[in-house]
Amino acid sequence: MSNSKIPVTIDIDLEDLIPGFLTNRGKDLGTLRNALECSDFPVMQSIGHSLKGVGGGYGFDRMSEIGAAIENAARIKNVEQLKELIENYSDYLTRVEVRFE
Amino acid sequence: MTTKSNPYRILVVDDDKDILLLLSKWLTDDGFDVVIAASGEEALDRLNIDEPRLVITDLFMGEMSGMDLLARIHAENPLLPVIMLSGNAQIPDAVKATHMGSSAFLTKPVKQAEILDQVKRALRISPERQQQNPIASEIIYKSKPMEELIELAQMVADSDITVFISGATGTGKEILAKAIHKASPRRDHPFVAVNCGAIPEQLLESELFGHEKGAFTGANQKHEGLFKSADKGTLFLDEIGDMPLSLQVKLLRVLQDLEVRPVGSTRSYPIDVRIISATHRDLDAVVKEGEFREDLYYRLKVVPLHMLSLAERREDIPLLAGHFLQKHHNIGSKKQKHFSPDAMDYMIQAPWPGNVRQLINVVDLCATLSRTETITLNLVQHALQDEPCNLQTLKDAKQEFERNYLISVLKITNGHVANAAKIAGKNRTEFYKLLGQHNIDTADFRSEKNPLTSKNLNV
Repeated sequence: MSNSKIPVTIDIDLEDLIPGFLTNRGKDLGTLRNALECSDFPVMQSIGHSLKGVGGGYGFDRMSEIGAAIENAARIKNVEQLKELIENYSDYLTRVEVRFE
Repeated sequence: MTTKSNPYRILVVDDDKDILLLLSKWLTDDGFDVVIAASGEEALDRLNIDEPRLVITDLFMGEMSGMDLLARIHAENPLLPVIMLSGNAQIPDAVKATHMGSSAFLTKPVKQAEILDQVKRALRISPERQQQNPIASEIIYKSKPMEELIELAQMVADSDITVFISGATGTGKEILAKAIHKASPRRDHPFVAVNCGAIPEQLLESELFGHEKGAFTGANQKHEGLFKSADKGTLFLDEIGDMPLSLQVKLLRVLQDLEVRPVGSTRSYPIDVRIISATHRDLDAVVKEGEFREDLYYRLKVVPLHMLSLAERREDIPLLAGHFLQKHHNIGSKKQKHFSPDAMDYMIQAPWPGNVRQLINVVDLCATLSRTETITLNLVQHALQDEPCNLQTLKDAKQEFERNYLISVLKITNGHVANAAKIAGKNRTEFYKLLGQHNIDTADFRSEKNPLTSKNLNV
């Protein structure tokens, strides 16, 4: 995986909300990893669904795409795909760089 | 962006805190007053406290889903617009939500412009709209064609312009006429309605224009007439297409001269009345047939408005059904009832030949007969089948009967007018007159044209 930043442009009106939003998404990552360890597919499906719904609204379209993929993989209980997607999500959170406009 | 002093309060319901924050931010920045709830149960509690003008709710939440919340909200307040949000764009959910009366169904992730556009669109159908459009407060709708009709009606309400309302029986032509009157500067004066097809010709003239004492047998006292009763207000001439030709001339003169002369009087008096007329008949065709004066038709049809049939505004059915259920509940039904989704679906797809009037009857029957709070599909089917649909007016039914009767008599008598008249109890002159009115040619019934009835009947 690359170390380069992933720039995301967010509406400046949402500047106050973004720190809390990203903190919550970090918590989601922890929950996803725990659920993967326990093979708790309903929890992974629920978090994926939530990421899909909330990401694009704030401007993080890629987050919504990963969330949708996690939701689908959890629905069919595809563990290998879930491992890869959760790491993709972790990588995304590490590299995302917010620019307000 | 709208003004920052938007008076609307919006309740946002979602179990995702970040969605609540995001929607609140967008709506607040656009000037709306926002309250939030993290569950359907909390939303129901907030409804009575905060009295929002619109609800935005997630579809999938904890115990109470957005669909359940929608049903509960509309059981209490069928006019409160509800926008549904869902992370899963399932078409059946969207269809069901629409059938249950949601204003819009949006898929997450939702964009700011999209949600604000839908909110503003939905608020036009909320109870608040009456402040901008008084007619809208009198008529239940959310469909686009009705919105256009109401906007047009609102535009003409302020003036004294003569309005002509067409539309099938039971579509609510009189309700529209009343709403126009209430939205007009004449609202503090009488709205007088008369069904021109229900009153015998001889009585209609004195009913409309009044009569002097002794003007005719039985006129024991002076009668002012409906034009006088509607002074400074609105006179609604319903079923104008059934008005006798002889009276049409007199009405035309009144509308031209703005003066009325009561029967038996030598003096006229000026009138100050707005005229709204209506008919279920195709008046263009009636004019062509010579049964209605063209000059009067154009005098009445200055602004034509067409009331849509219920089948042309199916998306209004959940809203209307909810409204009529609420009315039924308000007049004494103990339990607030609601239609099951499949029952509502059936109603949306039903043909409704009797239009809104038929819908009212079906809702009342279902609400009365349902032993449970949920009105089932079976009960709705039963109510719809039992409904005496598409009844003709008495005049049309009489006309049809008279024509069929004349045809039967002529068939029996093989087109022999003297015999047919004798059976009918009429003299030949009267009988010929009737044949003329119905455009019946006796030659069509003579034996060479009608071999099936070749035997003369001697009576």
